[in-house]
Amino acid sequence: MTSKLPWRVTYRLSTQCPRCLSRLPPRRTLQTTTPKLAFTAAPPVDLESLPPQNASNARIVPASPSYFTGRPDSTDNYLSLLALLRRYQTLPTVPPAQAPRIAWRTVTQYRLLVGEPVRASKYHKIIEVLQRLNRIHPSVMPPELSGAMQIYKRDVDPHATVRKPLVVDEDGRAFGVGRRKSSSAKVYLVQGEGEVLVNGKSINNVFGRIHDRESALWALKATNRMDKYNVWALVTGGGSTGQAEAITLGTAKALMVFEPALKPALRRAGCVTRDPRRVERKKPGHVKARKMPAWVKR
Amino acid sequence: MIIRKAVIRQGCHTRTAPTRPWIRSLATEVDVQSIESSLDNSLKQTKSIESQVQNETTKLVPIIDSRTHSTLKLLEDKTAEKYKQLQRHKKLTNPLGSSIAPHYKPHLLVNHPPQPSEITLELLLASQAHLGHRTSHWNPLNSRYIFGIRQGIHIISLDVTAAHLRRACRVVSGVIERGGLVLFVGTRPGQDRCVVKAAQLAGGCHLFERWTPGSITNGHQILGNCKTKIVDEFDRDIPGYDEELRDRPVLKPDLVVCMNPLENWVLLHECSLNAIPTIGIIDTDVDPTLVTYPIPANDDSLRCVQVIAGVLGRAGEEGQKSRREKAMQGNVTYTPIVLSERVSTKGAQTGGSAKDIRGPQ
Repeated sequence: MTSKLPWRVTYRLSTQCPRCLSRLPPRRTLQTTTPKLAFTAAPPVDLESLPPQNASNARIVPASPSYFTGRPDSTDNYLSLLALLRRYQTLPTVPPAQAPRIAWRTVTQYRLLVGEPVRASKYHKIIEVLQRLNRIHPSVMPPELSGAMQIYKRDVDPHATVRKPLVVDEDGRAFGVGRRKSSSAKVYLVQGEGEVLVNGKSINNVFGRIHDRESALWALKATNRMDKYNVWALVTGGGSTGQAEAITLGTAKALMVFEPALKPALRRAGCVTRDPRRVERKKPGHVKARKMPAWVKR
Repeated sequence: MIIRKAVIRQGCHTRTAPTRPWIRSLATEVDVQSIESSLDNSLKQTKSIESQVQNETTKLVPIIDSRTHSTLKLLEDKTAEKYKQLQRHKKLTNPLGSSIAPHYKPHLLVNHPPQPSEITLELLLASQAHLGHRTSHWNPLNSRYIFGIRQGIHIISLDVTAAHLRRACRVVSGVIERGGLVLFVGTRPGQDRCVVKAAQLAGGCHLFERWTPGSITNGHQILGNCKTKIVDEFDRDIPGYDEELRDRPVLKPDLVVCMNPLENWVLLHECSLNAIPTIGIIDTDVDPTLVTYPIPANDDSLRCVQVIAGVLGRAGEEGQKSRREKAMQGNVTYTPIVLSERVSTKGAQTGGSAKDIRGPQ
């Protein structure tokens, strides 16, 4: 008798149970031939499907459960951060000094972002939570969390900007800029015998005062390198003292390019700090910046 | 203290001759005699020995990178591996040992609050709902809720509390069943979690920080920038009516549930001016006429507040479920708003204004 079954039966049509000697129906085999009628069953019954959307049954609801706070977005942000913290609070952390240094948005920037009048104290609470989340060890930090924290970071990371290291160029020159009062000096330093040119002229022609000449080259003098370097300086602005001091700073910076280890010595010599003093403006009611006219009883 | 007890237990010979390495480490600065005499002195001196010992030992300070403030090789210190090992170990050892059941788990009150059907006097007693204030601070209007006096404080009748709480649950579920908006308010520290959870369950709004006075009476000014949306009977968003929403007045709650009415009397006054019914936890020193449906209970106990907020949230959840079931049967329980500009839902998917979607006419 030919089998009407779509699959091939490899052994007897019925098997005998060893215990009760009853006949059992044949077991379906794993090897099947492709059925002749190819069809797929109907999809399962959808008991959960909703009727199509009907605008006649509309009602107005708040877009956020924080509607009545007056600041829904910032409140929702804070709540989501707290939820993240609760979820990940058992992850290992690092001490605050070892956590990555991140510049979080300022209060003003956050207010612009959310468009709400957020209180500074409230925003500091958000920052506290972010700093705790940031302390999670980087090797176990979940990607979802780092994505959530990204919104609160400043667009431009100030810590990512690394100063370009100043180097001696292929012609053996080191460059340094110095400023004092309203003078600005560009100083080029090369290995040499100790020649100095300021604006193309000899230093004796430019600075009549010995004090100015000495202070201009104070960086080299203090470190006993007067005969080791040649100085080419371009100075503009200000007067003699200002220009001389500007050259001091410029030479010191250029010298630090050649010999970075000289920095503490130059600092002790007073060549490293840019003197921020400027001429104070005259004020109304005063004769000069500070001088007042003589006091009259009546 | 610990050092002293250990020494006494060991016996005299230990006291006279301390162990060699200990002497050597302290030999340069502290002599044995002074240690012995300080052991008889106060804790302050003992602590100084600890600090001296600590100063002697060398501490390794990790090198910190100045820019990123991370130690070198932070990603290579095998913390991830150790954490995974810990997780595996916990998984293996958690089922071991004795299980203490049933015991109070504080987080369950917030994360899985009790149902209104689970309100029992035992639950209210355990959450300190019966503790009122000092008898001299009472409000005589509350006399009907007070059971008696014990140790100088008023004790609230828990059967009265339970009855009022069940009534409040019925009110909350009834309002939500009819498409109402419920606002849960709890402004004391620690009440934020239970209030947010209750609002989430009931599909309402929450407030856990200071109520801005005028949010109802001057709503246009204060809540004018807060977004609203249009939904249908199944809470599905109907987009494309942004322009219309901008012209609509600001929303007001249909019911306010307040956990600390004494601090939020301004909110409750605004509600009374706008005919908004209120529910509140009334302690023995609070005026019960501040709210429409008082629940005499202890508003100072966080656990009590969590129970009440949780139960009301669950009642709201039941109301939402009931409303949805009725909507499935075609019975819309609220009065729908009339939208002036009819827009087809297909075109509204662009999210623009109604005029843009309709196109030039």
